[in-house]
Amino acid sequence: MLHKRFSIKTFLPILFLCLGFQSFAEPTIEEGKALFKAKCASCHTKDMKSDMTGPALGGVEERWADYDRADLYFWIRQSQKMKDTGHPRASELWNKWQPTVMTDFPNLTDDQIESILLYIDGMYTGKIGGSVGPATPVGEEIVEETNTSFYFMILGILAFLALILARIVSNLNHMADTKEGAVLGQRKTLVEQLLSPTVIGFVLFALVIIGGYITVNNAMDLGRQKGYEPQQPIKFSHATHAGDQKIDCQYCHDGARRSKHSVIPATNTCMNCHTAVKAGSKYGTAELSKIHASAGWNPNTGKYFAENTSEADIEKEFRKWIGDQYRAAKGEGVKDKRVNAEVDAQWKEISTFVNRPIEWVKIHNLPDHVYFNHAQHVAVGDVECQTCHGKVEEMEVVEQFSPLSMGWCVNCHRETKVQFADNPYYDSYEAYHKELEAGTRTGVTVEEIGGLECQKCHY
Amino acid sequence: MKDQHNNIWIGVQDKTNDPALEEITKQEFYELPIVDALADEDMMEKSSPNRRDFLKYLGFGLGAATVAAGCEIPVKKAIPYVVKPDSIVPGVATYYASSFVNGGDYCSILVKTREGRPIKIEGNPSSPITKGGTSARAQACVLSLYNTERTQSPLSVSDGKAMSWADLDKAVKSKLTASSNVRILTNTILSPTTKQAIADFKLKYPNTQVVTYDPISSAAMLLANEACFGDRVIPNYHFDKANVVVTFGADFLGSWISPVEYAADWVKNRTIKDASHPKMSRLISVENGMSLTGSNADNRILIKPSEQGAAVLALYNAVAKLGGGESVSTSTSVNAAAAKALNEAAKELVANQGKSLIVSNSNDKNVQIVVNKLNDLLASYGNTISFEGASLQKQGVETNVQTLIKEMGAGSVDVVIVNGANPAYDLPNAEAFKTAFAKVGTKISFAGTVDETTSLCDYVAPDNNLLESWGDAEPKRGHYSLIQPTINPLYDTRQKEASLLAWADNNISYLDYLKQNWQNNMFPAQSAFATFQGFWDNALHDGVFHAPKASTATAFAGDVQSAAASIKGSSGNDVEINFYETVNMGAGQYADNPWLQEMPDPVNRTVWGNYLGVNITFDGKNAYKTFRDLKQDSKGNTDFAKITTKGGEVTIPSNPTFGQMDNTVSAGLGYGRVKVSSTGQMVGANLFPMCTTNDDGLTQYWAVCEVEKNGVDREYACVQYHNTMGVKGKVDGTDDLINVDEKVLGIDGYQGSLTGRSIIYNAHVKETGPFIDELKKKRDFADHLNVKTLYPGHDDKYTMGHHWAMHIDLNACTGCAACTVACMAENNVPVVGKKEVFRHHEMTWLRIDRYFYGDVNNPNVVYQPMMCQHCDNAPCENVCPVAATNHSSEGLNQMTYNRCIGTRYCANNCPYKVRRFNWFDYTTADLWPANEYSINGEELPFGADNLTRMVLNPDVTVRSRGVIEKCSFCVQRIQEGKLLAKRESRKLKDNDVKTACQTACPTGAITFGDRNNKSGKLSEKLKSPLNYLALEEINTASSVNYTAKIHNRNTKMDA
Repeated sequence: MLHKRFSIKTFLPILFLCLGFQSFAEPTIEEGKALFKAKCASCHTKDMKSDMTGPALGGVEERWADYDRADLYFWIRQSQKMKDTGHPRASELWNKWQPTVMTDFPNLTDDQIESILLYIDGMYTGKIGGSVGPATPVGEEIVEETNTSFYFMILGILAFLALILARIVSNLNHMADTKEGAVLGQRKTLVEQLLSPTVIGFVLFALVIIGGYITVNNAMDLGRQKGYEPQQPIKFSHATHAGDQKIDCQYCHDGARRSKHSVIPATNTCMNCHTAVKAGSKYGTAELSKIHASAGWNPNTGKYFAENTSEADIEKEFRKWIGDQYRAAKGEGVKDKRVNAEVDAQWKEISTFVNRPIEWVKIHNLPDHVYFNHAQHVAVGDVECQTCHGKVEEMEVVEQFSPLSMGWCVNCHRETKVQFADNPYYDSYEAYHKELEAGTRTGVTVEEIGGLECQKCHY
Repeated sequence: MKDQHNNIWIGVQDKTNDPALEEITKQEFYELPIVDALADEDMMEKSSPNRRDFLKYLGFGLGAATVAAGCEIPVKKAIPYVVKPDSIVPGVATYYASSFVNGGDYCSILVKTREGRPIKIEGNPSSPITKGGTSARAQACVLSLYNTERTQSPLSVSDGKAMSWADLDKAVKSKLTASSNVRILTNTILSPTTKQAIADFKLKYPNTQVVTYDPISSAAMLLANEACFGDRVIPNYHFDKANVVVTFGADFLGSWISPVEYAADWVKNRTIKDASHPKMSRLISVENGMSLTGSNADNRILIKPSEQGAAVLALYNAVAKLGGGESVSTSTSVNAAAAKALNEAAKELVANQGKSLIVSNSNDKNVQIVVNKLNDLLASYGNTISFEGASLQKQGVETNVQTLIKEMGAGSVDVVIVNGANPAYDLPNAEAFKTAFAKVGTKISFAGTVDETTSLCDYVAPDNNLLESWGDAEPKRGHYSLIQPTINPLYDTRQKEASLLAWADNNISYLDYLKQNWQNNMFPAQSAFATFQGFWDNALHDGVFHAPKASTATAFAGDVQSAAASIKGSSGNDVEINFYETVNMGAGQYADNPWLQEMPDPVNRTVWGNYLGVNITFDGKNAYKTFRDLKQDSKGNTDFAKITTKGGEVTIPSNPTFGQMDNTVSAGLGYGRVKVSSTGQMVGANLFPMCTTNDDGLTQYWAVCEVEKNGVDREYACVQYHNTMGVKGKVDGTDDLINVDEKVLGIDGYQGSLTGRSIIYNAHVKETGPFIDELKKKRDFADHLNVKTLYPGHDDKYTMGHHWAMHIDLNACTGCAACTVACMAENNVPVVGKKEVFRHHEMTWLRIDRYFYGDVNNPNVVYQPMMCQHCDNAPCENVCPVAATNHSSEGLNQMTYNRCIGTRYCANNCPYKVRRFNWFDYTTADLWPANEYSINGEELPFGADNLTRMVLNPDVTVRSRGVIEKCSFCVQRIQEGKLLAKRESRKLKDNDVKTACQTACPTGAITFGDRNNKSGKLSEKLKSPLNYLALEEINTASSVNYTAKIHNRNTKMDA
């Protein structure tokens, strides 16, 4: 044999090497989510199914299906202007929702709007998790899905190319062999080659490896909730409190410095300020009254309700408070009907809070076999809250910033240096202190004092 | 020191080199023979699925996994307080000083609460009585709070219907008139304020009488002290001041009067402080069966129960003869061996006048008068006994209850209020009581759970649990102790005192009443605080308050001659049975506590029931040898023995014990409850009906009996041969002794040390010097063996930071098992039940091994608490295929449950046998209900219901099926202590980290600490030349140091 033969085996590894990461400049749900949060979420609900300040957005595309797509874009960018043109759908909407005016977004590009619409559709149809407690973070799964189908497409094309090439090479080899007059056996057909034990074996092997890889990866992600952003019973804004008002995290989360739990503050912690601040900057009385209701505090009188106050009396007081505030905000001309509707809507929400603790949705969940102590990290390790929780002071709705996976913990323990010099507790690590003094060591990581050992977190 | 090893044994099979025992010792995980298992269909159904089951499970498993993978993670809520109490920080424990009181049982405690739930009991170091020690009973009381079968509201018993308190009060008041004959039937009441409440009740209903009795009575002592000193109390014993203690059956280390206090005092003269000048007191126990105190004694003198009076007289006369007192004439005599030994004892007592102490549990007034005189002769009063601070822990005289039975029978009692007492169960003539009780017009009980007497009452006015109550106690005169609630009442219950006051038309809250009483009576007795509030706050913080009271006792004025003349002699040659109070069950009031049921009896090593202690060579009536088939016994079988006395007959399993006098048997009281929370129902047999009554009407805790074989118990739950290490066997052909493991290996003589494993060392106190030299040689040899090692060595790692270690002083350990229960409470150790224990599946992390040494017929005992030794060269670690167990840089042998796949290689390779495997899902921590263990079709395994789960320690993982667990050196406490030190920017102190077993121990036998801290307590203890490591020769480099057992046996007393 003079020529080294090419075979399909040579091509397969190359095929896999060709698989690379690619990015797209098309409308994506991820972008849509970000835009929705920034621009729409303050008036439209995230579940797309219920009305809020503005209508539920689920199914918006069907409702505009009779009109040109550009009409929808126009409505989203400049709804008031469109209404003035007398567009039938625009007028219909205005009649239903006036006097509420939708904010104009003239700078949104078509792609951006398409992204938002993708996101709305996804949320509405449930393709991407529900509003409360989805296990799967919103963006990632979708990204994975697009990537996967893309990979398979490329894989298919390359496999096809490889097959053609292999056939060509094989033919050339055969021709060469024939030319040299070598004695040849029966040539295998393409089908025979594909069904040969080698190819079948390889395909099976590849499938097992790929299947195993996908299974393990997904299994590891089971229960992880990075990006988890549930709706809370009260639209408490960390952006307002920690961002605008610059309240220290540990003013409310006072367990962080002395307990394993950072502690969700009790209602009476809220009341430290909210006896004075009676209406919120964003939602007026709608959200803050829930706190007052929980604490059993009468915003009209500025006093706590007597213990035996009947529920009817409490309701009366809150209705008065909400109505008064609404009138004050809208001016005296507001119609009683509107006031009553507003009061009814708010009270419906607030009534479930009266004299009861607030049931917040827990965002950061660790498995039962993990022991984590806030005091160790905050008081001893001087770790900033933001290191693990992200820029909470910028979050309107808090989401889980870190994966809270073991790999993430361990990595930090490898990299983080212990507050070694200032704490006499660490005096017993004499060898390290000597090395530090001698300058042969720049610092001591958590790992080096046993921070990676099992029973630091599992017992 | 000669033949240290061959002279130590665990039990019969070990002593006789039984081949069956070798067989079971080979197996790490003991399994029943397959034939037995097949015979037990029930077990087959549960334990061995067939092929179809397998396919079903497989299908279900796959399906379930798919569903689980597709499921959304459930939404978890975080619900904060509305108004957060100042004292609570979620995640941080809060401790409250309180008192454990149950009848006469007393312990000053700190209750650990987390988020408002009591989860653990600790000793209160401020108490001058218990000094921070606890008992197993006190440790377990927190579990009773979460008993799911507590009475949840006032009840009308006849129709079983719940009532409102208003209805109950109305109903009760309608039965109470100023002329009603009311009787309050109670066990000892320690609380002065309860007594005050009763006095106030009496003002309203003047024909009220309090009838006090104790099921395990010390009435004879009370009456004798009244006759001799004019003071009806138990005096204040100072075991720490005695050089020689002689106890006639009084188990003062286990259950008699105030064991926590006495054990701590007694141990002061038993530990070796200076090994070069060793000193030790001597304890002589005169008894028939091995009690906890007897097992700690240097010398045991064996007498039949009927001989106690004679033995006391014999000792009295011997002392009188030597010490120059007036002797008494008596017709009684004691067996020859005892007579000889008592003469020896007399010599020692006389030589230690003023430093000796005699105690007796006899419930015969005459015997107690002679004991008092004997103590008087030996100048004990004023030295080792005082009346100042006399004990009030036993106040009952059972003749009162007999009078009550007559009154009730005559129909002259209108209303009986039962305060915690259970006479329908614990009186010898309970049947007579029941008949008479039925004739009472109105019967009201305060019981918080159902019991035999309550079920006969008309109304139940359920009392709060101890941990929900306000209250006080005066266990010793002038020593006051407060009880404060640590949780709101879980159910619609009311304090019994509040009920009494309400029926007397006084609707004051009991807290106010209590404070009032303290303001009137305790506050004036002190001068440190000017205001009551200051005084009260301080007393509540400390939990205790001491105001010395002068004694009113006179000098000895008893008539010893007539007392002696009234003492009866032995019953002759009949077999006698002795009934004793066990360490865990008391008089049955703890029967519904699973932790105490599962705690092995320290001496018998049995669980969940009472067993008949018989001599290993017992040859009873009907010529029956108890242990003809040792092989069967090794498999968990034992003979049932039928005991017949005048008071009836019962059949209980027999238990062969060393040190039981021939021709006598003994058995524990407090079992066989019928009406009780399901945990304690029909566990063991009730022996109270067999107790007899003497001429004075006092209960005698022994009887003449006949014993015969009555079938075989195939569920003999005795942990004696579970997890043994270093059992001896014989080489086939020759009779050379050899270690069983070594025999299994088939390589005789490899590392010669194996046959003489270093598990227990002991020496006589006079031979301490030579013993230390021998021990050093042994340890040097072990070091020599360990020079060549497979392990790379990581000593340098341990020089920095902490290097944890423990020290256990075997001379201070009395085997009381408080640590065992404390460990279960601290570490969420599941309760598995009798059948599982029988199958060697007990889960306790800390076991107390009991070894015998010395004379086979009358041996001494050493207790060895055995838990994970945290070996620095741990054999378990390098056999784990998934590295689920590995070593920390602080010397801890870490066990990671979530990594464990249950191969059990580690347990197999552990030479100390301290690893436990979750054979079932005992805690329902698992995902699949099919893994749960169920007994009698229970819906849930014990402790898995939501209420009982409240007792779990939230800092410790609850383990699921299929993982190994073991002692962690209370790593959660280590981490907590370290964090505290770091937060306070200081070095770690001894007090920062204490393990649960350490804090529970009444005698301070356990010391835990950082051996890198050279100035710490642990380093001090590690210096003793008496220390050794268990199995040091196999180079495990373990972290638990034991101090060798030093005893002070007087060989002249041996027969």
